Amino acid sequence: MITLESKVPHGPLETKWDRHRFSEKLVSPTNKRKVGIIVVGSGLAGASAASTLGQLGYQVDCFCFQDSPRRAHSIAAQGGINAAKNYQDDGDSVERLFYDTIKGGDFRSREANVYRLAQVSMQIIDQCVALGVPFAREYGGQLANRSFGGVQVSRTFYCRGQTGQQLLLGAYSALSWQIDRGQVRMHPRTEMLDLIVVDGHARGIVVRDLVTGAIRSHTAEAVVLATGGYSNIFFLSTNASGSNVTATYRAWKQGAAFANPCFTQIHPTAIPPSEAYQAKLTLMSESLRNDGRLWVPKQKGDSRSPEQIPEPERDYFLERRYPRFGNLAPRDLASRAVKHICDDGCGVGPGGLGVYLDLSDAIAQQGLEVVQERYGNLFEMYQRITGEDAYKTPMRIYPAPHYTMGGLWVDYNLMSTVPGLFVIGEANFADHGANRLGASSLMQGLADGYFILPYTIGHYLATTKSGPVGTGHLDVRAAEERVTNRVARLLRGRGRQTAASYHRSLGRLMWDLCGMAREEAGLKKALEAIPALREEFWHEVAVLGSGATFNQALEYAGRVADFLESAELLCYDALHREESCGAHFREEHQTPLGEPLRDDANFSYVSAWEYVPNGRPVLHKEPLVFEFVKPTMRTYQ
Amino acid sequence: MEPSGVQVKKAARFDSLPMIRFFGHILTSLGSKVLIALSGLGLAGFVVFHMLGNLQVFEGQDALNAYAAFLRDMPMALWSARVALLAIVGLHIGLSVRLAIQNRRARPAGYVVHHYRRASLASRTMALTGSLLVLFIVFHLVHLTAGWLDPEFHNRVDLRGQRDVFGNIVHAFQNPLLVAIYLAGQAVLGLHLSHALSSSLQTLGLEHPMLDRLFRGAGPLVALLVVVGNVAIILAIAFGLVHA
Amino acid sequence: MTFTLKIWRQNGPADKGRLVTYQVRDISPSMSFIEMLDVVNQQLTLKGEEPLAFEYDCREGICGSCSLVIDGVPHGPDRGTVCQLYMRRFPDGATITIEPWRAKAFPIIKDLVVDRSAFDRIMQAGGYISVNTGGAVDGNVLLIGKDQAETAMDAASCISCGACVAACKNASAMLFVAAKVSHLALLPQGQPERTKRAKAMVAAMDREGFGSCGNQYECEAVCPKSISVRFIAKLNREFLRATIEEPSPLAEQPADPHDESH
Repeated sequence: MITLESKVPHGPLETKWDRHRFSEKLVSPTNKRKVGIIVVGSGLAGASAASTLGQLGYQVDCFCFQDSPRRAHSIAAQGGINAAKNYQDDGDSVERLFYDTIKGGDFRSREANVYRLAQVSMQIIDQCVALGVPFAREYGGQLANRSFGGVQVSRTFYCRGQTGQQLLLGAYSALSWQIDRGQVRMHPRTEMLDLIVVDGHARGIVVRDLVTGAIRSHTAEAVVLATGGYSNIFFLSTNASGSNVTATYRAWKQGAAFANPCFTQIHPTAIPPSEAYQAKLTLMSESLRNDGRLWVPKQKGDSRSPEQIPEPERDYFLERRYPRFGNLAPRDLASRAVKHICDDGCGVGPGGLGVYLDLSDAIAQQGLEVVQERYGNLFEMYQRITGEDAYKTPMRIYPAPHYTMGGLWVDYNLMSTVPGLFVIGEANFADHGANRLGASSLMQGLADGYFILPYTIGHYLATTKSGPVGTGHLDVRAAEERVTNRVARLLRGRGRQTAASYHRSLGRLMWDLCGMAREEAGLKKALEAIPALREEFWHEVAVLGSGATFNQALEYAGRVADFLESAELLCYDALHREESCGAHFREEHQTPLGEPLRDDANFSYVSAWEYVPNGRPVLHKEPLVFEFVKPTMRTYQ
Repeated sequence: MEPSGVQVKKAARFDSLPMIRFFGHILTSLGSKVLIALSGLGLAGFVVFHMLGNLQVFEGQDALNAYAAFLRDMPMALWSARVALLAIVGLHIGLSVRLAIQNRRARPAGYVVHHYRRASLASRTMALTGSLLVLFIVFHLVHLTAGWLDPEFHNRVDLRGQRDVFGNIVHAFQNPLLVAIYLAGQAVLGLHLSHALSSSLQTLGLEHPMLDRLFRGAGPLVALLVVVGNVAIILAIAFGLVHA
Repeated sequence: MTFTLKIWRQNGPADKGRLVTYQVRDISPSMSFIEMLDVVNQQLTLKGEEPLAFEYDCREGICGSCSLVIDGVPHGPDRGTVCQLYMRRFPDGATITIEPWRAKAFPIIKDLVVDRSAFDRIMQAGGYISVNTGGAVDGNVLLIGKDQAETAMDAASCISCGACVAACKNASAMLFVAAKVSHLALLPQGQPERTKRAKAMVAAMDREGFGSCGNQYECEAVCPKSISVRFIAKLNREFLRATIEEPSPLAEQPADPHDESH
């Protein structure tokens, strides 16, 4: 039975973190050398944590399944990173960033965590500059900012459209330094497949060497998971093909509570799926909505080409539904509007999955040159992928799963319900509530890794007595056996279906029944269909090759198997949360005009699910108390 | 902290010997390339100088023979220059061969299908043209400098008692076989130089947004001038425009 | 669309490897090259043959995992990564040869997958600014001109895919090292370690068994991020500068670290 103790310090919000840091116990430099820490994942959170812990003197082992830590999916983030620097003197402050994040998350996140995030955001920028991240600059040499994601201040720092890449390369270079110093041992192409818990404390992990197939255990005094999100549960998403839920899901099965799994963000502007074999949705920058107008033909199944459809027969549905915000309505509203209009049969393109994003008005008003300069690279990318010239016919877009706010439950110290297991970055649930603001994910990953975890983990290590755990320990052997058996079971698969086909079926099911809009009947249907699909998977999947070599089919099948299990968790959570908040939209809970209805009286809490062997997961609630801000309703009409 | 500290100390002690440090840099791929570039530029300078000197063929027998005698009158300078040239050639070839072997080793298994996108013919044949140039230079030295092909003709003197270099050359290029060999030699030289010069500038780190075109164009231009100058001499004699 | 594929199959580092011919039918022109290979793998799996190993991850041209030489050109006919290459780029019925990156420093793990950890080791040799977390000065204290920042960004956009090595006749990693060295040498933050970095990274590059630069610029022609060979000239300059400016201490360093605490 788990207990949720948030460990948020008492007292005024502004000084919580400072006072907490002072009250934390420290590990002496001599002892640090004897302490081993395992960091799983090498994205923004993992790389920054591993390098900082190495610099502090701990013995760090860092793992990633990619061939190099620099390929973690943080690299693909485009937009930017927020920080309350107020360099533009436009009224930004820690308080404002804090409030925007809380409100953007639809009042489903912890005040203290979000405030701390806003506080350390400033240090992140300084640290990244010191590491040589080439942020965009003004002519005078100062850092440039842009406004992002519909906020009223310019607080987003960026490196062209490759901010995630540059921030990751910064963290990766810091990590490289620590590897060179011998403080961090890097284990690339090594996948974590289970968590080792000894006497209730996380003490290690079981990994599979993806090149040799060897299954090994690594033990340490603490384990840090920085393994990202699980958007790939929808099969088609903007995530990298390797992004998976395995590490966090395995940790869940070892006792870490999973929080708010149903909070999954759908990004409105991706290039729509075009054919059955498609395995990826490519994001188009949201900035296109600044000048573009979204529309569909009014007549269902209109097969005319867009140029032939006259103005009165077009439905500019966002402008119609949200006259005040029009095409700039927030991500969740825009995504849902697109889905509704396509569900009504008005969608365009293959399978009716798409709406037009039309820049012809902008071209007519501002001239082709201006539009070209602003969006030229996006038009080029669109043409490369679809083969269509967006200057002549409007682009087609469709929403795509993009980010998961849910994740393993952590307290204020970023520790999960398993002592010694820390979770950072997208893998935890902490700071974004029910919906994440643009340019906040990079901020959170680096805040956790550079500035928060290295403090809080020290307190745990200083106050926890832990004896050595050898690789022959019973619990270690048991964990290894679980992994060995599972790999062997997968390799017995000689059926007639590929793992990809099950992943695709699961994705379609989740998208239809637990995607942008959910309802009770659909979720119940999903909860019946998922176990059946899982059963079929284990009977019918074909996994060829051997376990003792490089075997991508085996890696992938294991990840799909975990998606097939964790999908149920999403549905349980979506089913129980009888309200619409942020990215979670229940058809039953909306205003007559189709706006989400949040229920603060009954659902102002974090739902944390506990694993029960062979049974339904058990719900625990961490009530959310708002001492400093007052929850309000978001209205955009 | 400690392991890295120890390494740094060791490296520092090793590095403190200036000579070792210097040769350490030469032995890196970049150090070798810099020396190849510098020696190559030196040799290219010689080739240009050589071509300009030979152009005196067009001024007649007296001028060329006097020029040759002028050079021979300074045996110390001449032989120093020859030894220096030989050393430079040796360095150039030695380091190039060493790099070529390393480069071969860098790709033990080649592609089944391979297409170049940008590389010029000259750049792709540097090793070949370099080797052919060695053969050509050896032949040239044997033929015109040492005069082993036709010793009797080689030692003839003109009316002033100077060695008749002019007559020697005119005699040689009336032979169609020798004309063919020298023309082929010029083609190889031109090809080698056209990539080599600009490549040397790049290796020496010359790069500038405004001057890049100049740097890239310099190699082919100089190569062209050298080849045109030399070929003009050969053809002028072969077609009887210059005669004894 | 229908294609004849000649794909390099190699069971492991010890295996000799060979081209194997496969036929694929019903390929849509809007399929990406990676998705087309997914189809091949599905066919192979259903036939009970081992699927082919090849790398991809983000599928939006930024992670740098893609590593296929298509018809003799790294990343194929367009200047971009394989994951952003679409089948409509090929004529129907074409024969396409697919090989791995080939270099001694990139040993083949299996089929089309190579080990590029040599790049990581080059980075560990000096591709960083050694500053501690915390204690950084305000980001605006260092004024960096827009042009300078943009040039540094041009170099920094390298995705470490290794196409430059694959395309180079000598399997040289100069463009990669040049991009990394230039990025930091162009910024004020990178100055204190500038000399050490250039030398250490060049030495590491040699150690890994990469060839040397022949100034053919094949690397630039296939670089998906259009990194200019001017950065190679810059690296050469940095190296020369480092050789000349060898920072030798004006006073002998104390041999024993405890000497400093007298």
